[in-house]
Amino acid sequence: MEIRRKVQAGTMQSSDLMVFVEPAEGLTIEIESTVKRQFEHLIRARIETVLARFEVTAGSIRVTDRGALDYAIEARMEAALKRASEANP
Amino acid sequence: MVTELISRRDRQLARNLVESSGLVFEETFDVLVGIFEAGGLVAVAARQENILKMFAIVPGHQGGPALGELATELIRGGTAVGCGTFFVFTSPANAAAFQSLNFMPLVYHPQAVLLEYGGGIPRYLAAHRHLVRPGRNGAVVVNCNPFTLGHRYLIEQAAGKVDHLYVFVVREDRSAFPFAVRLRLVEEGVRDLPNVSVLDSSHYAVSAVTFPAYFLKDQEIAATVQMEIDLMLFGLHIAPFFRIDRRFIGTEPYCRTTRRYSEAMRRILPGYGIRTVQLERLQAGNEAVSAWRVREALRREADEELRRLVPKSTLDFLLSSAAGEIREKLRTYSRRH
Repeated sequence: MEIRRKVQAGTMQSSDLMVFVEPAEGLTIEIESTVKRQFEHLIRARIETVLARFEVTAGSIRVTDRGALDYAIEARMEAALKRASEANP
Repeated sequence: MVTELISRRDRQLARNLVESSGLVFEETFDVLVGIFEAGGLVAVAARQENILKMFAIVPGHQGGPALGELATELIRGGTAVGCGTFFVFTSPANAAAFQSLNFMPLVYHPQAVLLEYGGGIPRYLAAHRHLVRPGRNGAVVVNCNPFTLGHRYLIEQAAGKVDHLYVFVVREDRSAFPFAVRLRLVEEGVRDLPNVSVLDSSHYAVSAVTFPAYFLKDQEIAATVQMEIDLMLFGLHIAPFFRIDRRFIGTEPYCRTTRRYSEAMRRILPGYGIRTVQLERLQAGNEAVSAWRVREALRREADEELRRLVPKSTLDFLLSSAAGEIREKLRTYSRRH
């Protein structure tokens, strides 16, 4: 799947995350989290799983997390990627 | 639920809440949002470009989800109009609440904390990593509205005293000459100097991001705090990255704000191991060459005077058809630089 435009999904509420996705040449993932020290690797693994499932190979992915559980990460990522693949808002 | 406050009545409620929280209600914003509960406004906040401001929440709703809801809505809207990173100024007591929303503190000033959401400063530095030079480097921060022989002289003198000189051109577009033009004229004007790099200052030097005026009622104090935060940001984040240990300024005969800024430099920068070096300005006809004089000469269509004040690269632009609109604008009204 191709990331065609800049989009955002999610919220800043506790146990949620904000996802920002935009077109880029390579694939980069930036993570900020209130539980970064303990869980960054797990958040990253979950994001990578979703990216692999959608066959995303290029794009800038930025996430700010407030302790979201796996299914929230997947849902927000999925929403962002689907929006980003649409040509028009 | 967060709603945009548009009606006069809603805005009056917002003003009341902001003022009762000890803040100043500023009319300048792109969007004002709030949360109603049982018919009453319980929380309010605003966004002006990439600055989030005027967060005010009634005591019964503080510590709850209101802050995150307001910030989410402002950032959602700001992202949709192209902002990549966001700033907030808050009192030291409220900084932790923003940090728990993943805002990163950039500067702790005793009277205000500047936080950023969106990782702008690490991205800015990473994008300029290829310009980092070893040795003892210097910096000048310039507006160059437009680039003059005075700027050229200052940069040449400064470049002679350091291994490498970084010229940060203020991005903020509040000048007669737009940023893209100012930047290009600086680049062309110093192209022959081998140890000089010209950079976009982005949001991180002398920008609107340094405006905490709304929560410091005393405008004199607010202006001082603003300058100090700007310099602390420079000392803490910019200078160590580029190995800058000296910042150069020209003597300032005209502008009071600029003079106060140079005083703040001498007060703040030594704490970060940075020396402030003042250089005499270039004179032409018993007066310092200044961008203001260039704009005056343009307004009066005094081409001979222009020739004495600007290098060829700037002159060529000023007399070209591309500058027609700017010349017209200068002729029709004047403003402070």
